[in-house]
Amino acid sequence: MALLEVNHLSIGYQTAKGLLRAVDDVSFAVDAGQSLGLVGESGCGKTTIGMALMGLLPPNGSIVGGNVVLDGQDLSGLDEADLRQRRWRDIAMIFQAAMNALNPVQRVGEQIVEAILTHKPELEREEALHQVEGLYQLVGLPVGRMHDFPHQYSGGMKQRAVIAMALALNPKVIIADEPTTALDVIVQDQILKETKELQKEFNIAIIFISHDISIVSEVCEMIGVMYAGQMVERGTTREVLGQPRHPYTQALLNSFPALGGPRRPLRPIPGEPPLLIGRRFGCRFCDRCPVPASSCKLEPPELVQVGETHFVRCDNV
Amino acid sequence: MTRYVINRLVQIVVILFMILTILFVLFRLAPGDPVARMVDPNMTPEDAARLIAQLGLDLPIWRQYLTYLGNCLTGNFGHSFHYGLPVLEIIGQRLPNTILLFSTGVLLSAVAGIAWGKLAAWNKGKATDLWLTVASLITHTLFLPWLALLLIWVFGYKLDWFPINGMISDEVWLDPDSGVLLKAWDVAYHMILPLGTLFIMHFGAYLLVMRSSMLETLKEDYIITARAKGLTEKAIRNHHAAPNAWLPVVTSVGLSLAFSINGGALTETVFSWPGIGRELVFAVSQNDYPLAQASFLLVASVVLISNLVVDVLYAYLDPRIRY
Repeated sequence: MALLEVNHLSIGYQTAKGLLRAVDDVSFAVDAGQSLGLVGESGCGKTTIGMALMGLLPPNGSIVGGNVVLDGQDLSGLDEADLRQRRWRDIAMIFQAAMNALNPVQRVGEQIVEAILTHKPELEREEALHQVEGLYQLVGLPVGRMHDFPHQYSGGMKQRAVIAMALALNPKVIIADEPTTALDVIVQDQILKETKELQKEFNIAIIFISHDISIVSEVCEMIGVMYAGQMVERGTTREVLGQPRHPYTQALLNSFPALGGPRRPLRPIPGEPPLLIGRRFGCRFCDRCPVPASSCKLEPPELVQVGETHFVRCDNV
Repeated sequence: MTRYVINRLVQIVVILFMILTILFVLFRLAPGDPVARMVDPNMTPEDAARLIAQLGLDLPIWRQYLTYLGNCLTGNFGHSFHYGLPVLEIIGQRLPNTILLFSTGVLLSAVAGIAWGKLAAWNKGKATDLWLTVASLITHTLFLPWLALLLIWVFGYKLDWFPINGMISDEVWLDPDSGVLLKAWDVAYHMILPLGTLFIMHFGAYLLVMRSSMLETLKEDYIITARAKGLTEKAIRNHHAAPNAWLPVVTSVGLSLAFSINGGALTETVFSWPGIGRELVFAVSQNDYPLAQASFLLVASVVLISNLVVDVLYAYLDPRIRY
């Protein structure tokens, strides 16, 4: 049994126009020390999955099917108080620091101390501060900057601080939601490498959410490609990138430049994802698919196993 | 920071100088002859002229201006026409009364407004929010003298719970046996109705500002971070949302403190509160120029200094602001 299992998870948002199914029948599993990349364009449901794992869906959002099992325990059955105690201790999150993830009027170190003391109220403040010093050294931040405010940090430093905060309670799982999107490529590369090392050191499972398939392929052993709320292809990075089977994955790979290999024109994917409100028939990618079959419009495709750990949701395989 | 404060103080001096000049011009343009009320109809024209010469009003206008500036700089604001006392002495008596009433009023309504605004935003769309918001809108749009008279009529006259005017009871203050506590209680007792009026009028504004600011803050990413960290709702509200949300409220509290010095004329008049606002209106209606001039100058200085205090306070509340 894997550390974290997501089974047939469906998540809906109640909107004025009806129930929006942001996530539909998504399953995956991650083991300790492994990382899974969730890739897809904006609105495909990847952040919603992250929020659901944290138990932090907005008031109009709820899990409408399936469950999340961490370490053998079903998280969807927990009440708010239990869930709150497990947040950050079991599953922490690395936010995109550029997006104001740190409180602007509180000292950065203090925000990490707060996380520690909330879950370990028995600790002395001094002890918590000492732990934060350790975390700063771990992520390569000067300890002397602990008492600065977020606006005094550079983008890269903020990102490191956010990572330090995620590591504060030694979580089993970390969800990294677009962690390096706002950073320049050099800092991005450093931070990704360091994150990878920390992951190995502490044997943490990471779920890496990004729209950038090239970054995900560098960091993750497994990839899940999301499209319009469904996971259309999932497997090891080697499987998915080596033999992409779903037309969307293929199109996604064609829309990014490859460093090695021959030069070729980038091909954008025409059209846009469908609205997710109301009943839907057939495959969701059908309208943008370069190779639609006649059956696609009628029946939603099932998840088909095409390799040892390789699954594709397409009738064409 | 010190540099900034010094710069601002210099600016304040310059602005005060401009205000002094405007006041000088204004009072010479104003209708009504200040000498008329001092000159006895039985005086001979020579006596009248001598009086005018004594007051310096026969001098050319620029000489008058220089004398006026010199007097202001040395703190000589002259004697009140009406009371015959030095202006500074009158202001010194009235100002503490005004400060006592209005700073208590503004602070009480700000504390309540911030607390209730926080509550309303936290329960957005629920009954608590609805009641608080509607109550604020209604109370804040009331006509102050009407509310004051209503309170006086109900609690002062019909129920006879509170005194209807004044600041002290003579029988308490003239009694040599009254201790300090008893005197303080007497003032507080007189303050309840005017304070109630100010509170009802003003808490709504703070509540609404705090509520909307808080709602904005609750959308911020660091609130999600706080929630993800597993903080309790109370900790999120009090340690993350509120400290960011009350910044705009501080501005409005600071400015109300400034303007209450003069803006309290209505309240002071209705409750016969012996404060500076009532004195200012009285001075203007009585053509008591020295008193009016000094009061205007006082109001201007208070507004300028409050602005400075708010700006400095802001730097302490919001670390992103540095001067």
